Order: sequence, then C-alpha cells, then structure tokens
Amino acid sequence: MSTTEDSKKTAKPKAPRKKAAAARKTTARRKSTARKKAPEKPLSVLIVGAGFAGLGMAIRLKQAGIEDFIILERGNAVGGTWRDNQYPGAACDIPSNLYSYSFAPNPNWSRSFSGSEEILDYVHHLVAEFGLEKHIRFEQNVAELRFDETKGIWTATTDKDVVFTGRAAVMAQGPLANCSFPAITGIEDFKGKKIHSARWDHDYDFSGKNVAVVGTGASGIQIIPELVKVAKHVKVFQRTPGWVMPRPDFSTPEWNKLLFRKVPASQQAMRELLYWSHESMALAVIWNSPLTRIAERIGKWHLRRQVKDRWLRRQLTPDFTIGCKRVLVSNDYYPALQKDNAKLITWPIARISEEGIRTVEGIEHQVDCIVFATGFDVSHSGTPFPVLGRGGRVMGDDWKGGAQAYKSINVSGYPNLFLTFGPNSGPGHNSALVYMESQLEYALKGIRKIVGEDLKMLDVREDAQQRFNKSIQKRLAKTNWNSGCKSWYLTEDGFNATMYPGFATQYATQMSEFKEEDYQTA
Amino acid sequence: MASIDLDKMLAKIKSTQWALSDIDWDAPGAELITEEQWPKLKEFMADLMWIEHVGARAFAALAKKAPTDTLREIYSYFHAEEQRHANAEMALMRRWGMLEGDEIPEPNVNLRIIIEWLDRFADEMPVYVLGTVVPMLEIALDGALCTFLLETVKDPVCHQAFEKINDDESRHLGVGFTVMEMQGRSASYIKMVQMMARVMDPRLILGIASYMPLLNKMRDNVIAMGLPEEKLYKAMQKFERIGGRTEEGRRNPWFQLIKQHGRWVTNRSNKVYHVPVDALVKITGMVPRKALPAVPSWVKELTYEPTATR
Repeated sequence: MSTTEDSKKTAKPKAPRKKAAAARKTTARRKSTARKKAPEKPLSVLIVGAGFAGLGMAIRLKQAGIEDFIILERGNAVGGTWRDNQYPGAACDIPSNLYSYSFAPNPNWSRSFSGSEEILDYVHHLVAEFGLEKHIRFEQNVAELRFDETKGIWTATTDKDVVFTGRAAVMAQGPLANCSFPAITGIEDFKGKKIHSARWDHDYDFSGKNVAVVGTGASGIQIIPELVKVAKHVKVFQRTPGWVMPRPDFSTPEWNKLLFRKVPASQQAMRELLYWSHESMALAVIWNSPLTRIAERIGKWHLRRQVKDRWLRRQLTPDFTIGCKRVLVSNDYYPALQKDNAKLITWPIARISEEGIRTVEGIEHQVDCIVFATGFDVSHSGTPFPVLGRGGRVMGDDWKGGAQAYKSINVSGYPNLFLTFGPNSGPGHNSALVYMESQLEYALKGIRKIVGEDLKMLDVREDAQQRFNKSIQKRLAKTNWNSGCKSWYLTEDGFNATMYPGFATQYATQMSEFKEEDYQTA
Repeated sequence: MASIDLDKMLAKIKSTQWALSDIDWDAPGAELITEEQWPKLKEFMADLMWIEHVGARAFAALAKKAPTDTLREIYSYFHAEEQRHANAEMALMRRWGMLEGDEIPEPNVNLRIIIEWLDRFADEMPVYVLGTVVPMLEIALDGALCTFLLETVKDPVCHQAFEKINDDESRHLGVGFTVMEMQGRSASYIKMVQMMARVMDPRLILGIASYMPLLNKMRDNVIAMGLPEEKLYKAMQKFERIGGRTEEGRRNPWFQLIKQHGRWVTNRSNKVYHVPVDALVKITGMVPRKALPAVPSWVKELTYEPTATR
C-alpha cells in the first residue's frame, strides 16, 4: 500500500462517530455563496463532487498546504454514492479497514463490513476532522467545464449560471452517481410505487405489501433479505445470476477498537493484511487461472450449502467465469430467497403493466411496489457534463469510440484536468479507495507542479496517451472481464474503458511515477 | 427452409409477446365441448400440456449450452414460451372443468421418466442432441395434436389461444431447423465420429430409452382419442422434408439419426423396432407411481392463473 510522507505524518486515528452527527447538521442544506460573476483571481483548484474522491482530494491538498480550492457539490450534503445509496441492507463489500483512507483511519468500525450509514458517518467525520466544510459549495450542479488556453484557467459553469474558476480542476463526480429506471416496456404504465435502489424512499412502508425486486446485482442481493423481513411477499426478478461468495462479516469486539485506538500500528497491520489478501484474489478474479477454478468451487459450495433444491440451485448458478462481472458477497441472500414469502423468477420480463410485471411464461405478477436494483448509468463514452479542452475540443466527442486517458487520470487536449475513477482505473478485487489514494497523490503532484512552477498548461502528450492505451487494452484482452460476458464494465461493443488489468500494487506503481517527458508544458 | 437471421428473430420474439390475461377465459363457448368429447379431451389436453412443459425444460437445457449469446437468449424465451403454452392449456382445461381445485394434471409414467431424465441429464447433453430432438417432438406431436384439436373443438377461446400458440411454435421450428443446418455446416465425418462418441454416453442411452417408448405411448394415446394415425405420421415426415431441404441440414448427423428413427416409428410393420419399444411401454406402464422419485420443483411452476400475487 503506497502512501506519501505527508499522509503518514497526518494520520489521525480519531473516532468519526462523535463528530459525524454535528458535521451532517452543519453541512446539510448549506446554500451557495458563489457570485454569478467569476472572481478576478482564479482559485488554485476546482473540485467537482463531495464524495469520497472529492473530499480525499481536498484533504490531500490541505495537507500539502494548498488552501485555495473549492468543492462544487450538486446535492445538499456530502457523501456521494454513500449519501445516495441508503437502501435497507446497504453495505460495502470490501472490509471497512480497507475501504477507508489510510490518511484518516477509523479505529471504531463496528463490523468488518460496515453498513452505508456508518460509512456515511465516516465521510462526515472527514469533513469535520479536516475542516473541509468552508470549501464546499452545495447545490452547485456543474453544467460545463471549459478550459481557457490563453489564461490557463478552467471555468465551471453551473446549471444556474454560477461561475467558478480554477487553475486546475479535479473531476470527482463519481462513476456511480447517476441512475435511472431501466428501459423496460410499459414501465410508465405501472400504477404502484417505483423505487430505485440508489434513490430510496424511506417514507414508504413495505409491511403488508407485495413487492417485486428487479435486479440481483450488488444492491439487489443486499436489499432482498431486508425486504423479505418486512414485506408480505417479495418476487425477485433475475436476469443473470452472479457469483455469490460467503461474507466473513463479524462485529468488532470492544477490545479490538481499543487496541486500534491505542496502538494505531495494529490497525495499519490489519489494513496491510487485508490489502494483501485482496491482492491475492486478483489471481482468481482478474485472470483465468487455477485459482479461478478454486474461487468458483467456493462459490458453488456456498450455493450448495445454502440451497438444497436442485432447480433453484440451477437457476442461481452463474454461467460465466467468476470475475467477469462483479463478485457478490452475502450470507443471507440465498436463505432469503427460500423464505415462504419470497420467490425467485427467472422468466424473462415481457413488459411492465399497470398492476405489475408480465413475464414471458404468460403470467402477470401483480405487486404494490417495484424496487429497481438495476445499477447505475455508467458512461463509457461520455462525460456527465460537457468538458471543453484546448481549441474547444469536447471530451465526449474524443471518447465516442470509448473513453481513454493517460494512466486513467489525464486526457490529452485537456490540460490541468485530473480525473478520479477515470478510464481503466476500476478494481475488481481490491478497495476502490486504495486505487483512489494513488490517483490523489498523482493529481497532487500535477497540481503542485502547476501552482509551484506557475504553469498555464500541463497537458499529457497524445502519443504517450496512445502508447498507454495500446498497452492497457492488450493486457485487458487477457482478463476475465473481456472473456465474453456482458457487464457494466464494457461498452455495447465490448470495449473495456472501466477496469485496470492488474494488481492494485501495479496500479500504485504506475501512479507513483510522474513522467514529465510525457507532458508538454507552457 | 432457408436459414433465418437469429438477431432479427430475437427482436421479433421480443415484440410479439402475449400473456394469459390477453385472453378472456370466461368468454362464452365452453359449452361447445360435447359430453362425448369431454373425457377424451381431458386426457388429450393433459398429454399436450405435459409435452409443452417437457419441451420447456429441454429449451432451458439448450439455453445453457447455446453457442452464441443470441441463441442463448432465444432459447431462454422459448423455455418461457413453452411454459406459457402449458399454462394456457391448463387454463383451457380449467375453463372446461377438467381441473379439480389447484390440481395439476397427472403426467403418465413415460412422461414422468422423461421429466426425471431431463432434470438429471438434460443440461449435460450437447446442444445439438436436444436441438434436433426438440423440433421433431414439436413438429410431430405438437403440430399433429394442435391441428387435430382445432379440427375437433369448436370453442372459440380454444382457437384464440392456439392461434397465439401456433405463432410461437412456428418461430420455434424456424429456429430449430436453422440450428440443425448450422450444425451441418462443418465436415460430416468429424461430426459423425463425435456423435458416435456421444451416443455411447450412458446418460444419452438412458434418454433414448425414455424417448422411444414415450413416442409410442403418445401415438397410442392420440389414436385412442380419434386422431388418424396417418396424420401423426404425416407430421413426422414433415420433419424429414423440412430438415432435409438443404445440404447443410442433410449433413447434420443428428438429423439423419432422428429422421431414421422417425421412419421406424411411422412404419408399423417394422417389428424389429415396434415390438421391443411397445414392450417397453407396457413395462413402464407397470411401474408403480410411488416408485418414481418426487417431481422436480420446476414442475410446480405451472399455473393456470393469468395473474399471481404470490
């Protein structure tokens, strides 16, 4: 796990929960203080998004002594995907001691895999602990990001025409920030309640209701066991069964929390252990190896142990190599499906009607509510808002054939712009925040260079970007993600603009070196 | 039959879906079933419904093994569509007062054996074994039985349901024959050797041993109901005619095998085939129902209700 000197020095193992509630109160519903006219002097950095990535960037900037930055957040609270995904049962499928920043450890995680509420508390703790609140501008939904070549300035214009300027910009809007109901015929005809997993309606009472859940991915398998506990009946509509692995989830004993508080090195040691155990999973998940077969056997053993009926087991058995799609972890999904008030439906959906869901076997499954756990609108070939670079070029146009970047973070023609979770930065086996830290360090190096050397422009060379992508696509061709299954990792044409084909350690090594010769400066 | 574009076929399948609730099962016309017809029709519908259901399970196995994503999705739809046919036929039986309460018609022993075989071994079979047998079953039994049914039953709701069922079936056959031709496109000799290796598979031998008496048993059943034997044979010969229309189709060794078998079935004077197979029908008929294993849970998904809340 690579951390910089700065991060090691500033690690503060304090409890997030104590300040979380207060932080949430102070940050929520904060109104914009921006002027309609851009200030005379641009800020050093504009950050778009106040989720894990944006806040992490802000912390690292502060730790590096850069204070003149702002975070533009479209919502009225911090937390990004963890703010939005508050459905029942929402939790991280990476252990919390690894799904947190090494420069802001939390010794008080209540479980090995924490729920979304606790993760959100941690995010609020970051805001409070590092004094980020004053930097955040809420309800500023960026509608355009434009680079002025002559001045070397990025201008962010919001949907309310508010303008912000900065010498560098960090796109931290998150890859899983947008969602919509799926394009199923007749969805607008349904007269009951529709809920998307990423926009949960906490006021809706499920007790006594017949509920349909569409989708059995990472969100679906967490929601279903919770709904089965309260709803009258739950029908689960599955298109493709995923690999579900056992989840070693335990509550953290008090002595363990105390140990982490008193001896921070012990928590760091735990993090290292988790890191390397996840790294080893790359051999099973990313590439097709003998370990892949072992992982599949564990998945099948888990299924056989929890599901006795042969037909149900067949319905739940994946027909793709493990790792090709996101590997799921759950101990309570299979048992929930077998409860008296639950039923798995694998018939294809023909359409949605006024009363429910019609499947191809001719039956209309009538329900009061449909929960869509159908994932996010992941763009493989566009940007969430127009991004205009040198000469007015548009990033979405440059990415029409599939998103490409240099080391996932810079795009040629878009100087001084840093992407988080950019093209080919996705992990399939390790914590996304481990990858994120490498990106933050890299962006910090670039920003320091721009600010320190008073550069107008730090732009990655086109040839360096092409070389990088040629190599990454060659490596991706040998991975399980490109082995034939359809997943959100790939475009319709099968182009993989999402995942990084290697160990997290390789990614960290890639990001640790800032090759000046790959950039042109002015 | 010329090969069809499977991508276009999949789009067509998706755009021509129907549901049980599209039919008014309480509309007038049920009284057109005569008292004389009723008992025979009850047996007939039960057999037909089970053939559809068995066909559904075979398509489920095909979906697991299909060589392309498109074909896999097509077979997933066909699996569900055959189930829809079985459900619709149960709805007709209910309309005609042939079901008591929630009861599912009892399958005959040969069907029970086929169900058991499908449950245990179908997923292990290569795609082209079932890919050839299923069109034969569809064209012979389904085709002959449906035509016979519409000729003898005057109930307009029955005609309405079977119009939809037959539309689906014509697509199933179109895909079935296309897939058979796809299999015939590579060298015959290699395929023949591969096929012989498959035929030696004891699981397949068990399947053949279950399939042969089923055909003879069904033949006996439908003849007992008044279907002229020649009509059944004519439908089976259609398999030979359409499947062998192109060189690719003829080159498919599985087609040749099923075709040859069809000839034996339709030739009553072939004692070498019919004496042992009829004996098998008799023997299986003596198997006590209690000796058979419990029906797999996929059978319990059958329903005559157009809507379900549980």
